[in-house]
Amino acid sequence: MGAMKLNERSVAHYALSDSPADHTGFLRTWGGPGTAPTPSGTGRRCWFVLKGNLLFSFESRESRAPLSLVVLEGCTVELAEAPVSEEFAFAICFDAPGVRPHLLAADGPAAQEAWVKALSRASFSYMRLVVRELESQLREARHSLALHRHSSWKATGSHRKPQAADRRSPGLENGYSPSKDCSSVDLVEERGSKPAGPGLAEWQGPASLYLDGRQSPAFPETSYFSTLHNCPSPGSRSTLVPGRD
Amino acid sequence: MRYNEKELQALSRQPAELAAELGMRGPKKGSVLKRRLVKLVVNFLFYFRTDEAEPVGALLLERCRVTQEEPSGFSISFLEDPERKYHFACCSEEQCQEWMGALRRASYEFMRRSLIFYRNEIQKMTGKDPLEQFGISEEARFKLGGLKA
Repeated sequence: MGAMKLNERSVAHYALSDSPADHTGFLRTWGGPGTAPTPSGTGRRCWFVLKGNLLFSFESRESRAPLSLVVLEGCTVELAEAPVSEEFAFAICFDAPGVRPHLLAADGPAAQEAWVKALSRASFSYMRLVVRELESQLREARHSLALHRHSSWKATGSHRKPQAADRRSPGLENGYSPSKDCSSVDLVEERGSKPAGPGLAEWQGPASLYLDGRQSPAFPETSYFSTLHNCPSPGSRSTLVPGRD
Repeated sequence: MRYNEKELQALSRQPAELAAELGMRGPKKGSVLKRRLVKLVVNFLFYFRTDEAEPVGALLLERCRVTQEEPSGFSISFLEDPERKYHFACCSEEQCQEWMGALRRASYEFMRRSLIFYRNEIQKMTGKDPLEQFGISEEARFKLGGLKA
């Protein structure tokens, strides 16, 4: 069984870089080489850093190399039946063959809830969902703006005043210009790569993405986004009732 | 650094943003170009021997730089060592452009910046924070500053 290669040095650099951490804190963990198949004892207290869909552990806050990485894509997070006398535990579970849940324990109920929530929303898929939702809203807002302008041009001599747009887009009166801030954004005509706008690192491409109409069959419509936040879904279950079933 | 290899292997079997057989050459001096099935899944680039089900390896794409090397070839390197390059040979200029575009957009950090940009734009146009209605406007992951690691 050959080991899979991974660009570990780059991954470690990313872990230690100043790119934003989505959650950090001390947790007790039971995974590790030479540990028993079922968790026992009080576990090992490590410093955990969540960045995007990656959960890193360090021996301490000052460590210059991560101890471990859990790639979170495709996971669900559940409150766990803790080992004896262990409270505030939760498990990262995967629907993959031969994979045991990763058991972790926080220091208190607030930390436990915060971690479960943060980990439940850590997937790339979830971030992509939010981005698509906002793209859709921005497209609608610009469409409304364009319609408003069109109707106000047409309304010469009419006694009817433009209505809703005044409330919804105050920028209109300020001479809002779509190209004011980022030259790379153009919702209708985006194709291929363009120079990155201000604030976007030269290492990556333009801000507009997924606007060429490509719909991946793997990801749901944006209407799913609302239900995601109104009720639990399989991908982001965070049942806050202790115990199972 | 330990990592959850089985879960990463399972991820390599998920639907891909892009997948194709490309020529691939590792960063070490004297590496030879080999045919690999290359598959982009979320922020990982997996590469397989063309007749095998399990990936030879994976590249996490955070902080990567994608550079055109030839009309139909590109390289991936990483911020901390830009001269250490993974080379890829495509069958056409068009395929090369397609891959380069997809890889540049494939990092979590890129999506986060896009989201923040859209959020600001919508807020400027409508006066409202689009994330408020979903109750996620205070989440650290949707802010540029985030938390200090």
